[in-house]
Amino acid sequence: MEGIFAIWQRDLMKFVRDRPRLLGSFAMPILFLIIFGGGFSGTMENLVMNQTSEIEDFNYLTFIFPGIVAMTLLMTSVFSSLSVIQDKEFGYMKEILVSPVSRVNIAIGKMLGASTVAFMQGVLMFILIPVLGVTYEWSNVLAVLPIMFLLSCTLASLGLLIASLLRSTQGFQLIVQVLVFPMVFLSGALFPVTNMPAWMDILVKVNPVTYGVDAMKKVMTGAADLPVAAQDALGLNLQLFGRTVTIAEELFFLVVFTSILIALATISFRRANA
Amino acid sequence: MEPIIQVHELRKSFKDMEAVKGIHFDVAQGEIFGFLGPNGAGKSTTINMICTMLAPTSGSVIINGYDAFKQKAKVRESIGIIFQENTLDEKLSALENLKLHCRFYRVPKHKRTERIQEVLEIVDLIDNQKKKVEEFSGGMKRRLEIARGLLHYPKVLFLDEPTVGLDPQTRAHIWEYILRLKEKENITIFLTTHYLDEAEISHRIAIMDKGTIIALDTPERLKQEVGGDVIELGTEDNDTVATQLQSAMPEAEIKQEAGLLRIQVPSSDQFISTFLQQIHVPITSLNIRRPTLNDVFLSYTGRDIKAGPA
Repeated sequence: MEGIFAIWQRDLMKFVRDRPRLLGSFAMPILFLIIFGGGFSGTMENLVMNQTSEIEDFNYLTFIFPGIVAMTLLMTSVFSSLSVIQDKEFGYMKEILVSPVSRVNIAIGKMLGASTVAFMQGVLMFILIPVLGVTYEWSNVLAVLPIMFLLSCTLASLGLLIASLLRSTQGFQLIVQVLVFPMVFLSGALFPVTNMPAWMDILVKVNPVTYGVDAMKKVMTGAADLPVAAQDALGLNLQLFGRTVTIAEELFFLVVFTSILIALATISFRRANA
Repeated sequence: MEPIIQVHELRKSFKDMEAVKGIHFDVAQGEIFGFLGPNGAGKSTTINMICTMLAPTSGSVIINGYDAFKQKAKVRESIGIIFQENTLDEKLSALENLKLHCRFYRVPKHKRTERIQEVLEIVDLIDNQKKKVEEFSGGMKRRLEIARGLLHYPKVLFLDEPTVGLDPQTRAHIWEYILRLKEKENITIFLTTHYLDEAEISHRIAIMDKGTIIALDTPERLKQEVGGDVIELGTEDNDTVATQLQSAMPEAEIKQEAGLLRIQVPSSDQFISTFLQQIHVPITSLNIRRPTLNDVFLSYTGRDIKAGPA
């Protein structure tokens, strides 16, 4: 257990000391917030208002904001897993691998490091709430925190698995680009993914981000209180095998994804000959 | 007493080649064991297997009574490894690096501060402990790595080229620290190095080449086997002296090289007394030297230690 905490703490300590990284990771989400929030909201607001007359004052930013936060979690947790490759490049991974810390604890420690960093970045995004002019119930904001952390863990495990298989930073960046952007676009973080072609729908459903984003949106916006038509228009009725998935099921999927990815990363560390 | 390291019939094959071909050796507790070989001899593969970092194709390694392939965590606790390349976290301070190591190795909490100060003292870094490692010189980093390798009181310390890339003065200092430590803790040291003068401090030396151990003995005996002493002699009449010497000492190996007689004899003491009695030609120069480990290495592997694979 102590090994997990030591590895976890080291990554956190290094993150907190690295100010440029802290600020730099804000740029992309804010850009997306401006483009998708500003550019897209007119269309979406018209769409929702036309569907139903029950909502008078609809602000699309309220719905896209959780998606942007999820995107921040995705980017930060995957990029933080890069520390595994940096540790290999700078030699520190050897120090960890020759120590008696069990391989599964190394994987969990590294995963927790990356997911905590991502979680903190995500929470920092909440600073933007007043600036954007959107409002959320306090209780909903608090309730979304554990979901954010769980989603971060899933995504960090994914980054960890990729990083554990690679030796160079360049290779990692290439894979991440090929993987991260499709994962963002096919998750419902930026626009509804309810009316997709069948093959794309499959990608949406195997994408763990989809479930995290959906759960975050539902919890944060209190979507259960919205008219069904509005929920449909916003893509908040994620279907799986012909029925709407519940938040509990979504969280369960995330736990399953995380466990599988950690198990695979552990195997990869066991084979590693740093 | 049971040997601290027992290597038995250890083999490792990669796809198309056998890197280690069934080697066998023991290392006694408290011994300094030198492990030499040209590049590509299978040294690193062997060490990686001994350090639990690589699974063997067959054979066994027992360290401190634990099986290196079945009880990896126990073996990892028993050994300290100082790698050839840097494995410190340079963004953290020396102290933070050491604290992390204590946690990885589960050093009892109440002993940590005391032990950290103790190892820092051995390597003379007490005053620099709060500095970030990236501000350290090459020699300081090495010393910190050595300190860290000792924190969990390993039974065996593996030193892989501990002084490579350091200036002679720093090298001498590092050795001072290592020997100080050896005296204090009586730990076993498993050493690989390209500097053969450094290997001299080993109690025993194993020379590995082409996947097998081709020689294993004390440095003294290895050197004796190469052929006693080497005498380089210049006289006013080399030919006459050579003939006279050869008849007086049939066991001597005499060669004429560049105006000098190069004489290899089992013992220079005996040579001198015979020489003084028999030879009356005036001498212009005389140099007696013992064979060096490099002579040993050359005679076993046929190449210089710094040369690449044949």
